[in-house]
This record gives sequence, C-alpha cells and structure tokens, in this order.
Amino acid sequence: MAELIKLTIDGHDVAVPRGTTILEAAKTIGAEVPHYCYHPGMSSPAMCRLCLVDVEGAPKPMPGCVTTVMEGQTVHTQSEKARKNRQGVLEFYLVNHPLDCPICDMSGECNLQDYVHDEGREQGRGREPKRVFGRDDFGGDVLFYGDRCVMCTRCVRFMSEVEQDHRLTVVERGDRSIIDTFFDEGLDGTNWHGNIVDICPVGALVSKDFLHKARAWDLEHTPSVCTSCSQGCNIDLHTRDNLVQRIKPRENLDVNAWWMCDHGRHNYEWMNHGDRIEAPLVREDSGSRAVDWKSSLSSILARAGELGNQPVKAVASPFSSNEDLGALAQLVGALGGGETTFRSSRAEAEVPLKGFPTLVRRRDLAPNRNGAELIGFKRVGNDDGFGGLDKVAEHDGILIVLGDALVDQTPDFGSKASLYIYLGTHDSPAARNAHLVLPVTTHAEHEGTFTNHEGRVQRFWPALQPPGMARPAWLVLGALVGELTERSGPRKATDAFSSLSGAVSAFGGITYDDIGTRGAVVNESVSLTGD
Amino acid sequence: MAISVKVMHRPAPETTSYLRAALSGMALTFKHMINPVKVTQQYPEEQTDLSPRWRGTHVMETHADGRPKCVACGLCPTVCPANCIRLVGGEDDQGNRYPIVYEIDEFRCIFCGMCQEVCPVEAIHVGRHFENAEYTRDRFVYDLDRLMEQDHPSTLLWDPSDPSSE
Repeated sequence: MAELIKLTIDGHDVAVPRGTTILEAAKTIGAEVPHYCYHPGMSSPAMCRLCLVDVEGAPKPMPGCVTTVMEGQTVHTQSEKARKNRQGVLEFYLVNHPLDCPICDMSGECNLQDYVHDEGREQGRGREPKRVFGRDDFGGDVLFYGDRCVMCTRCVRFMSEVEQDHRLTVVERGDRSIIDTFFDEGLDGTNWHGNIVDICPVGALVSKDFLHKARAWDLEHTPSVCTSCSQGCNIDLHTRDNLVQRIKPRENLDVNAWWMCDHGRHNYEWMNHGDRIEAPLVREDSGSRAVDWKSSLSSILARAGELGNQPVKAVASPFSSNEDLGALAQLVGALGGGETTFRSSRAEAEVPLKGFPTLVRRRDLAPNRNGAELIGFKRVGNDDGFGGLDKVAEHDGILIVLGDALVDQTPDFGSKASLYIYLGTHDSPAARNAHLVLPVTTHAEHEGTFTNHEGRVQRFWPALQPPGMARPAWLVLGALVGELTERSGPRKATDAFSSLSGAVSAFGGITYDDIGTRGAVVNESVSLTGD
Repeated sequence: MAISVKVMHRPAPETTSYLRAALSGMALTFKHMINPVKVTQQYPEEQTDLSPRWRGTHVMETHADGRPKCVACGLCPTVCPANCIRLVGGEDDQGNRYPIVYEIDEFRCIFCGMCQEVCPVEAIHVGRHFENAEYTRDRFVYDLDRLMEQDHPSTLLWDPSDPSSE
C-alpha cells in the first residue's frame, strides 16, 4: 500500500496514494476535469491544455493530467481562474474547428460540443477564415476529417503505445499540424485500429461502417458480451429501430480495459438477420405447420412418455449461454441421460494486443466454450467447427440440437431418430427431419451469462425484441425439465442460473448479483485446452 | 313556490293578417339584391390573404444545382413532437451528407413548425399553402422529390434575406 497523500480539491478532503495525478484524484470526489489528451490507458503528454487546474501557491495553472498530488495542496477545479483558463483554451480550439456538427458523426457524444456548451463563450470572436484540410482515408475502417482534429494525439499514442504498431504520426507544425499515415500504408492490416475511433474526443476519426448511419442520441446502449471469441470483451450494443447499429467496448479492467478488436467490433450483422424462425414448427408430410408453444411442448412430453428411456444425444452450440446449456443438460438427465456434445471452431493463431497483454483475440471463436465444457458437454469435430457428428446423424433414439446450424450435415441428418427436436434461430436443411423446430433467441435478445477463456462468468442483457414467438432456450428447455421432474420451470434468467449453480459445482455459490457488470470467476480452475 | 304557467293569448288566425310582416321581409331581400356590399367570397376564383403566421405543408429548399439543402443531421425527426419525419442519411458521390430518404407524413404533422426552427441549414420550411386535397391517403406522405417540387412560398415566419433571424 502506497503512502497516502492528503489534499483538498474543491473544498473536499481527499486522500490518494502518492503519485496519483490531480485529475485522477479529482475523479474520486466526482469532479470531472475536462480533458482531451489524457486517457487512463495511455501516457499523458499534457498537450491539450484543457485540464489546467488552479493550484493555490502555484504561479501558473497546472495541467491536472500530469501534475501529481502533494501533501496539503489546495486545488480548485471550478474556481473563476480555472474556468477562465478552460474558456480561453476552448476558444483557441474553435479558431479552426469547423461548425459542422450537423454533418458530423460524433455530434451528440462529442467532448468539444459538451465542453463548449458547458463553459465556452456564447459568441465566437473569430474573424479569420478557418484552415481547411479536407478528409483522408486512413485505410481499414477509419476516415480522418482533418479540420475537426484537436491534436490530442490519442490516436497516435494508441497505435504506438497500445497496439505498438507505429502507423500514425503528427506531421507539420503549429496550426498546420495534422495526423497522417506513413506514405500510403494506412491502417490496413492492423487488428485493433477501431479503438482510435472510440478514443477520438471529437469527430476527426470516424468509422466508415457507421458513417451517417445513426445519430448518437437515437441509439440505445445495452451492456453485453462480445461473442466473436472466448476473451469475452465487455461491450455495449448500440441499437436503433430494433437493429444493432454498432458495437462499442465497455470498460472492464479485468477483461478488456477500454479496447476491443476490429473483428468483434464489426461482427454484429448476424444479430439483425431477418430470416428467423418465428413460431414452433411441426414437420408433417405436407411441410411445416406453425403451432403454439403449449401444444408443441406437450407433444414433446407425450412423445417422450411413449418412448420411455431411450438413449439421448444432444448437440449444443458454444454460442448458447450457460443457462441454455445448463437447462439442456438437465433435460438430457431428466430424459434418462445420454451423450452431450458441441462443436466449436478455432482460429489458426491468437491476435494479442501488445500494450495490454491480457487482451487477446483468442483462438476459440465462440464465447462460451468453457461454459459448455464445465457443464459437461464434450467438444467434437475439427477446428473449422465441422464434422464429428457421424454417430449423432445416424442416432435412433432421442436427438436434441440446440443452436448448431449443422451447415456441414446432409438433409438426412437425424432421419432415424425416434424424436428429433431442433432449437435454433434459423431454419436449417439438416433440421428437415426434425419432428419439432423450436424458435429460440440470440444472445442479443435475452438475458444470460457466458463463461470466458479464464472462467469468468459475465452477464449480458437483452438489446433487441425477439422475432415472433421466439423464446430463450433456457425458458423452453427449463419448462420441459419442469414438467418431467414435476417442478416449476425457470421464469427469469436468474432462476435458470440458480438452478445451474445448484447442479454444476463450478458455478456453485455465484449469483447474478455477484456477477454484476464486471463478471465473477468460477470456482474451479478452468483447463485451457490449447490456448 | 307554486309553479305558474303563463298563458299566451294569441289573436285567432281569422282576425289577423301576416301581410305586413311578409312585405317587410321581402323588402330586406330586395334591398340585398341591389346592395353592393357582398359578404360571400367567390373561392376559388377569389383567394383570401393567409395570416402571416400561417404554417402549411412543407417545402424543401434546394441549391442552385437542384440538390436538397438538407444535410440529414437528424434534428427535425428528433424535435418533431408528432414523430412524422422519417430520415435516412447517406453520402452522395461528391462526399456530401444528404438524405437518402426524407419523408413527412402530412397527416401526422401538427404544423408546429419546429422542424423549420431547428433546421441548421434552413432546408425544411412550412409553407403558405392549404390546398392539399388528394385522391388517395398515401399521397399525403411527401417524399424528398415532392418536397423539393412544392412551388408555394415558405411561411413569412422565415425571412430568406435574414435566414438565421439575426
């Protein structure tokens, strides 16, 4: 424990460890000091001059992002002097910043907009024409609007300190200085450059994917977990009109800090797929017939009762939540037990973020492989996520498929099964022989948890309305388990999770409240196969 | 208090004449035939002046080259209390932000004029116009082309010579 330094900020007594900056100390009492160049994940060059604070006894205003606290110091962040400093600095920014908020994608979440609105001058005094740079394609997903840049160099420092791939630099000097790439190299081929769009405090760096797509104030933010690999980056789904418009990382220092990879960032279009199963379907000779949930579940129970104890084979997906997989395992147990498997694709190699070594794009390209293994599912098939189901395809007992699209399987899949239930989001040719096709929701449409590569259980929340009659798989499977075991099924995701934590020791003792938005690590040490 | 009934004693029909009343009524009628003051307005040949604060169906201003002035900033759908504006922004071949879709449902519109007030580029205006009859209901959703074609003047609440009301 470092030595505590006592000081006074805005009249509040603060005690922080030695070496803390004034800006961070002010955060502990909720005083937000405006800043651009400072970012908690990177070094501070103190070049934006916006965090100037009024320190008693100091001859000049001090930059809060680099000045460390001193014993007995008295700091004012809201005094007349501090406010006048900031107003002056903001006026200098507006000398060259264009008034193009109406066409700027950052409008609504722009720090310059907010600060000028809070503390800027009511009327500009600029008479000279503003300098014009135009826009530049930085490659990858990034467009650069030079006029809007406030020269905080967060993007340059991200590429050099965090991604450690020096692709950006400042060229020229004075008011002609501008961010640029080296020759025509650009950002192409880098894996984490989407983060520079997030950390840009103004609209200088914008995403091509999101360009002109939605206004910031129209978007609803729902905390979620990235499904692109087993790292389980904390994200926010930004939705509008029941469609995911973009993904932004959500701060969690235990998992991904402030960052996420470009692959995960752009892997959201599948959540908006319109071609979904919308009602439970009964397969008949003439085709499929839509039925209601009650009759579909009671027909499963009736058929299972007729068949008695037949061997069960279940194929799950590592994209299903812990709750879904737990309910499926319980259903297999209630039907007399059997073999539970899943398939998961693996990438050739990891993609680490050099400046934050615990953040890696993992080889497992699914969010919940660890959860599936902890709950007792066995991984089969190859690294493409295919194969391994030859015996399942020919199985003549009860067959349950959850979430796996079975794209590599023939339409004969499950033709010999005495009862074949397919739970999925999209209909599949390999579900042709299913007696019942049940529509389930994606992780963006229900509440649940994933277990990431290090065994951290993380919650996600529903961001979208599910299509038609689609329901969470834990609700459907839990209702079947409830009927078979003569108990009531889960009504909420927390019920499904508590029945899982009662059944699987790794999840024992964890509750939704423990997990919160930061996650909680499972009880057993998780074996990381091949990572 | 006892209720009393007032009994009217009218003269019997055979003892009175309505001739005088009929004549005075006819006199008024013939007087109006020759009176030059006419109250009835001969619409549509004659048009009344609209109030200076009149707010009618919308007009989209255009640049000299025919492009809409709208930059798809999204403020009018945000401010619209009736939620009658649908806007999808995009980028044209010159790199300008413009509305790919801009539709106003004039049936839902309450003609408050806030879209005009909020517009940062003086593109959308409410108009001095009220003759909006159509044969079908769907014609009342005005798309971008229709809004640009509207040839009636904008409301006098907006002065083109002083566009930002300074």
